[in-house]
Amino acid sequence: MSAAREAFALPLIFLTIALFGGLDPAARDPWTAPSLFSLVLTVMVMAALVRSGTLAPERLIHGSRPVVANANGLIVHFSLFGASAQVLNMLTPRSGLPALLVGVVLFALLLNTLVMSPDRARLLRSFAVVTGSAFVLKFVMLASLADTEGGRTKRVLLALFDVATLGTISQAPLHPAAGYWAFMLVLLFLIGVALLPSAVYRYPTGLQPYSERALTRTE
Amino acid sequence: MLRAPGEPLFAGGRRGRYTARAGCRYNRAVREQIVRGAGLVMAIAYASAITWTYVRQPYTVAQVTGGLAASVGAYRIDSQAFADGLAFFKQDKFVEARAAFARADPAERDAVTQFYAAYSHYRQGWGRVYSDDALFGEGLKRVDLAIALAPAGRLVVEDPALQMHSADELRAELEAGLRRDASDLNPLRVMRQRK
Repeated sequence: MSAAREAFALPLIFLTIALFGGLDPAARDPWTAPSLFSLVLTVMVMAALVRSGTLAPERLIHGSRPVVANANGLIVHFSLFGASAQVLNMLTPRSGLPALLVGVVLFALLLNTLVMSPDRARLLRSFAVVTGSAFVLKFVMLASLADTEGGRTKRVLLALFDVATLGTISQAPLHPAAGYWAFMLVLLFLIGVALLPSAVYRYPTGLQPYSERALTRTE
Repeated sequence: MLRAPGEPLFAGGRRGRYTARAGCRYNRAVREQIVRGAGLVMAIAYASAITWTYVRQPYTVAQVTGGLAASVGAYRIDSQAFADGLAFFKQDKFVEARAAFARADPAERDAVTQFYAAYSHYRQGWGRVYSDDALFGEGLKRVDLAIALAPAGRLVVEDPALQMHSADELRAELEAGLRRDASDLNPLRVMRQRK
């Protein structure tokens, strides 16, 4: 991995996500720190990244590297943690039953990912599906239910839906640009994760039969 | 000059070739150190800006730029707009005064301007029988901001047009206006004067 990518590109990507992931222009305090639950989910994300080989910490922090290079690696780790926390927090609905359900589903999916120990490509695909689904749920489906604009019929239907669900589904209206902003940040996050220094794999072809070849990680 | 096939690029034969390679390696290592160092400084500065943003909760771009300028001591208010605000304030045109103060201090980083903004809320919201809670509440927020911005939290404005010169007096007056107690029923309240 080039020094420019490690020192500039990755911190810039992840810090930008960490900054703007918490931006909620509709709120009174527009900059929201990640919730405690999203920090728990982030720990699981980091573990999944390391176990799948998507992130090789030893390529960022190692005794054989110079001090400045290790400091760059440390910054990448911290910024990745902050960005993951903000992305998960941003994709979780703010209140009601959807917040609970999405939290539980994200927890179960990440736990499943940890247990399955997928390789890098599968993990990246899994992340894309999980973040994409959460994005559609919050910024497309729930946002349309919270949309205050529209005709009388729509408002009556929404009011009836609100009554039928005892107000547990409806969310506070989002800023019109929030969805576009979140889409860009999720995309940036996936690009950043794909750019992380991955573990190097080799096929021990001489030792195992072709059908049982396993990916062995080299340190 | 033409170079024969196999002839080294640099004069001095094998030794010159090795020297050139070593120099190239040295340059690459130095360049990498510079890139890493610059990246580290950039990342630390960016992370500090993020921390500042989440602590201060700026709402507008002016607040962000003003806050960053104030942190390095480079923030200045618009003195013309401040003078306009002061003139409006003395004519009891409080809405106009606040608009001018907002123009003078868009980042809300100047203690004296915020003090006058709070005072305008007080004077506009004051009444003989009752005070306007919304205006007093906003005034309290402004005076708290002024106290937070003042060095060591002490703010005294020597203006003969004012009857309260310190932010602490103004804060106490605003708090008293928002409080509900038995003194609200005292008929002698109508005799009191606006400060």
